[in-house]
Amino acid sequence: MPQPIYLDHAATTPVRREVFEAMEPFYGPRFGNPSSTHRWGRDARAALDAARERLATCLGAQSSEVFFTSGGTEGDNTAIVGPYMAVRDSGKRAVVTTPIEHKAVLGAMHFAHAQGAEERILSMSHAGVVDRASYDALVRPDVAVVSVMWVNNEIGVVQDIAALATVAKSRGVLFHTDGVQAFGKVAIDARAVPFDLLTFSGHKIGAPKGIGGLYVRHGTPCEPLLHGGSQNRGLRPGTENVAAAVGLARAAELAIAEREAEMRRLGMLRDRLERAILARVPDAVVHGGGGPRAPHILNVSVPGTDSESMLMALDLAGVACSSGSACTSGSVDPSHVLAALGVPRELAVAAVRMSLGSLTTDDAIDRVSELFPALVAKARRLAGAAA
Amino acid sequence: MSGTRGRVLAAMSGGVDSSVAAALLAEQGYEVIGATMKLFCYGDHVPDRPCCSLDSIDDARRVCEQIGIPHYVLNLESAFGRDVIDDFVSEYAAGRTPIPCVRCNTFTKFRDLLHKAQALECDWIATGHYARALGGELLRGADPAKDQSYFLWGIDRAVVRRMLLPVGALSKPETRRRAHALGLDVVAEKRESQDICFVPDGDHAAVLARHLGPDAPALAPGRFVDSAGRPLGEHQGYARFTVGQRRGLPGGSPEPLYVIAIRPDTREVVIGPKAELLGRGVIARSVNWLVDAPPSAGDHVHVQVRHRAPAAPAEIVRLENGEIELALDEPVSAITPGQSLVMFDGDRVLGGALIAASRAARPTLPILAA
Repeated sequence: MPQPIYLDHAATTPVRREVFEAMEPFYGPRFGNPSSTHRWGRDARAALDAARERLATCLGAQSSEVFFTSGGTEGDNTAIVGPYMAVRDSGKRAVVTTPIEHKAVLGAMHFAHAQGAEERILSMSHAGVVDRASYDALVRPDVAVVSVMWVNNEIGVVQDIAALATVAKSRGVLFHTDGVQAFGKVAIDARAVPFDLLTFSGHKIGAPKGIGGLYVRHGTPCEPLLHGGSQNRGLRPGTENVAAAVGLARAAELAIAEREAEMRRLGMLRDRLERAILARVPDAVVHGGGGPRAPHILNVSVPGTDSESMLMALDLAGVACSSGSACTSGSVDPSHVLAALGVPRELAVAAVRMSLGSLTTDDAIDRVSELFPALVAKARRLAGAAA
Repeated sequence: MSGTRGRVLAAMSGGVDSSVAAALLAEQGYEVIGATMKLFCYGDHVPDRPCCSLDSIDDARRVCEQIGIPHYVLNLESAFGRDVIDDFVSEYAAGRTPIPCVRCNTFTKFRDLLHKAQALECDWIATGHYARALGGELLRGADPAKDQSYFLWGIDRAVVRRMLLPVGALSKPETRRRAHALGLDVVAEKRESQDICFVPDGDHAAVLARHLGPDAPALAPGRFVDSAGRPLGEHQGYARFTVGQRRGLPGGSPEPLYVIAIRPDTREVVIGPKAELLGRGVIARSVNWLVDAPPSAGDHVHVQVRHRAPAAPAEIVRLENGEIELALDEPVSAITPGQSLVMFDGDRVLGGALIAASRAARPTLPILAA
């Protein structure tokens, strides 16, 4: 079999060499606990503070607004449940989100609901963009927090976070954005866009799994989910993962420095792949293509096929893709995102997400451009024979 | 991966039988792809079970990793719900005692999973059943104590040619030994799955209540009666009973009582002494043949009316429109509507059908006009 092709960067990415090297001393001589007062502690503390400072620079933030977490799920939960718990006694008892969020946001919203919050779900356009009239109607001053993902992980659609955050701010409503897929892909500047909280994750940008960050604007009320020491200003107690924090900072710097060129490169490759598939499979449907879309995601359904079989056939041919969300068993479930956007079930169950990134080469795109239509033709022939 | 003998999709439950089946095929030079079917929602209060649980999916994945073959989880939840669980519920509601494993084999494993296998260009489909597929015919498993051919009568005959059942040639202890020899210690000593995978704790009434509602007639109180119609007490729902059952019947009778019949129309459960369980004839529907030249009226076959029952000699007295009637040479106990009637010629599975009714008197061949 020729070299396998990894087209699942939205799921995770390999740790970059530079990141690995930056982390290595902290698994060796620089092993100290940043809370310790001795020289080892001070050394670790200095590295951690520097990492926080460097991340703050990447975000247009102050370093005291950056908190380290275990990743996207923790960030999303903290950013939704934390503010809700902090302000619910002041009469702000509603939470608002979209139906196309990551399960980490939806799960946190459901938890807030179980704690007494009124859960409001925004309407979406068919292209996957938040309906502004619905936003206007639901984001009222009685809302504790509204959460809208910046870039959707399944179809890549980009929301107008600047406009949405501005409206929320004008109504005294806290605004969180799940920036896991946006970080390093779209321009993010806390000085320019008035979001109050932003979640990001390391392993989507070449840092290890198990590290992420949460931006919390100064003055934002937010209760901790974990209770203990004073690390991360008490918002996220627990001895900090210094090595991973340093790795996250390095990965973020690299991603942001390379962002414009790399996104241009990925966008061209993605568009080439999309055109090649549509040329040979004219009835293929590209999801999220009708609105602004991040350059690294292509989600396509071919009528008459199913995701499960396509993903297996692709994998057996050496190409790693995904459908929308995988369930605990590892089986393929129809995507809640596509369902929320009114995609007919027979198309939703055929969705294949290809996500490009550092491992994606011109050659890989050329090979997939050939292979994908060939597998579609085979699947259809077999489906025809079985019917 | 070699794959000189063709590509095979191996259904893997995470148990020892299907794990050994996949490993043996890989060893024999097939290109094996492991697949675990997700058949129902694991969030539904199903505690850990010997098969079909998340732990079992993990076990199947580990076994595949060890054998060095890919592993996938296939979501067949909606088809299984429709073809197997819904039927299970409606059969109980109709006063019969279904075998969901038969329908799972017929529809889920050897139809839906086969379609998935075809989509992956697999030449074969493999399972861990104790049965043998030879020359396009289905045979009993080599180990009479483990033979599972009874559950396979409903599959499409053409599929038999594509089936690989490697443990059908082994005994259960041999399978466990092979598991150890293959290094599959994760699954080698796993206990047998006895219950129905989607019925937690064997409590099928709870599954029925969830699907039918707690007030369904099948779960509502009704009368125990004897075969003369005399009332003998009250029961808490006829769907809790099956023909031949002793548990849960009123006491105080000089001889042990058994369920003789279930009458869903009147919600009566007929009970009586063992002698009333005996049948000399059986009528079954939805006949399916697994041989090129199936028997016809007047032919003699051996029949099994339940798993593990000895094969009983019988004569086919009527066969029309997918319905079959047989006369039993010797009386057979507890012929139960909803169970399977499977016909054998020695080890060969001729075919099967769903039991509709038993007859106390021996039916005879119709006398044909000269």
